[in-house]
Amino acid sequence: MITHQLALLKREIWEHRSIYVAPISVAVVMSLLSIAGLVTMSAFDSEVRLALLGASNIVGDNERQAAMTMFFLGTSWVFMLTLAILTVFYSLDSLYAERKDKSILFWRSLPVTDVETVVSKLLVAVLVLPLVTIAAIIATHLVNLVSSSIWVSIKGGDSSHLVWGSAALLDNWLAAFVVVVASALWMSPFIGWFLFVSAWTKRSPLLMAFMPLAIVPLIELIFLRSSVFAEAVFGRGGMMPLFRGIDLGRFFDEERLQVDGEAVRLLTHLDLGKFFASPSLWAGLIVCGLFCTAAIYVRRYRDES
Amino acid sequence: MTSLVSARGVSKHFGDVRAVDNVSFEIEKGKIMGLIGPNGAGKTTLLKAVLGLTDCDGELSVLGLDPFKQRKELMQNISFIADVAVLPRWIRVTQLLDFMQATHPNFSRSRAEELLARTQVRRDAVVRELSKGMVTQLHLSIITAIDARLLVLDEPTLGLDIIFRKEFYGNLLNDYFDGERTILITTHQVEEIENLLTDIMFINNGGILLDTSMDSLSGTYVELAVVGENADKARRFNPIYERDVFGKKVMTFEGVDRDQLDELGEVHTPSVADLFVAKIKGAAA
Repeated sequence: MITHQLALLKREIWEHRSIYVAPISVAVVMSLLSIAGLVTMSAFDSEVRLALLGASNIVGDNERQAAMTMFFLGTSWVFMLTLAILTVFYSLDSLYAERKDKSILFWRSLPVTDVETVVSKLLVAVLVLPLVTIAAIIATHLVNLVSSSIWVSIKGGDSSHLVWGSAALLDNWLAAFVVVVASALWMSPFIGWFLFVSAWTKRSPLLMAFMPLAIVPLIELIFLRSSVFAEAVFGRGGMMPLFRGIDLGRFFDEERLQVDGEAVRLLTHLDLGKFFASPSLWAGLIVCGLFCTAAIYVRRYRDES
Repeated sequence: MTSLVSARGVSKHFGDVRAVDNVSFEIEKGKIMGLIGPNGAGKTTLLKAVLGLTDCDGELSVLGLDPFKQRKELMQNISFIADVAVLPRWIRVTQLLDFMQATHPNFSRSRAEELLARTQVRRDAVVRELSKGMVTQLHLSIITAIDARLLVLDEPTLGLDIIFRKEFYGNLLNDYFDGERTILITTHQVEEIENLLTDIMFINNGGILLDTSMDSLSGTYVELAVVGENADKARRFNPIYERDVFGKKVMTFEGVDRDQLDELGEVHTPSVADLFVAKIKGAAA
């Protein structure tokens, strides 16, 4: 079972190279952008900007740490966006491509069950993609820190204190890990739906996946004069119950350049207890499970000829 | 238990269409069974039922298992090629071998490497880059490297040239078949596998027209070529089918003594292809 699953996961990575190519590309672009930013900044030798990046210790340690964390967040959201797009396209393709090129006939000639196959696709979408994303976020962060410390050293600053001493590595990375994995779990009903559409549709999975999201709310509105479906579906895109109310003013008070040392830690803004106690999370996981079961059923019982 | 495949009253309906209609047969261990039928006869549906790819009514047992319900167990001891070579286009040959090794308990990697060494297929090639013949060679190499009790081949050599086809069937008989294994094969090119088969089964309109061993074929079926008035005498033995060949009447008889026909003209055993036509046309007439 485990060896099968590992072989199946490996197969997914062979087939869908975008699983690692996309995050690596974003990592390269983000690293180049930040290096370009440093070079540009050298041209405009503004004291404040230098201070924020830690070239000199004009402001306090807290402020600099807050600035570095903001910078980390600023680069990381691009990876989150990439992850979202990648997840949609991966899950819609995962059970559709093998039917389109008929290779399903080969896969099904092996002693691998439909349950194992669908589970491997689900694992890629909710676990492998987020983990690769987290690795790319961390790698980019390290590249940025190394290039900043080189820059600071050139300016004559003490990079071990100003850069490495100010970056809350463990806090930032753990927070990235929690947010990325939690997002995948939170969005799992969509992943389940995409996998089901991928297994079921005869053509254009993208259209078939998104059309109901537009049509069902419309029908509900016309006939029932309500919007339960729309709220359940689109409401999910809003805030997940992971964050404590973030008070940006408290996080980074620009006016006075006074920062609350505690508030700078990203992890203090995350509430895993609230997240796992949320009925919405569990309802979503159940919906995901139901769609995956349906996908397995379709792959198992539908005659493809 | 010597019967590897056992079907009793197997049917498969698609709406009103009876693709397979109340079919019963046995395939014994160590046989090479040819399943022959025109397009749309129900061959593929029957094979799918045997491979557990589709469910069916009636009693069907393959290697003592219910093929639809116990598919995973069945696939460990069966290998098959469906219709045409359908390997995923993105996969690399080495990746395919890795995957087979990881998922198939009866796959022999060294055997597959040995078979591939005889072909033009490079180990680092991606399936997409291979010609159709090479993809089939790769697929066949992989399938025959599985130590399977039953090998099912559905039109395995479709679209391949004659040299490769001859070579494939030669290898199948010399390297793969050892008297312990069992092969079930369908093809349109009956002539090419005629000498390979131990048993044949004709299927048409979802039903079995003929199910016999090749050995008993010559005892049961006789083909007679006659000219002139002997034709009328021959017709008294009720030929199942009659055709014209270069001014001669060629008739196919079932269960008629050879000696009785011998004095009327040239007598020989019909080829499987001719017998197939005779049975199909004869049944239709």
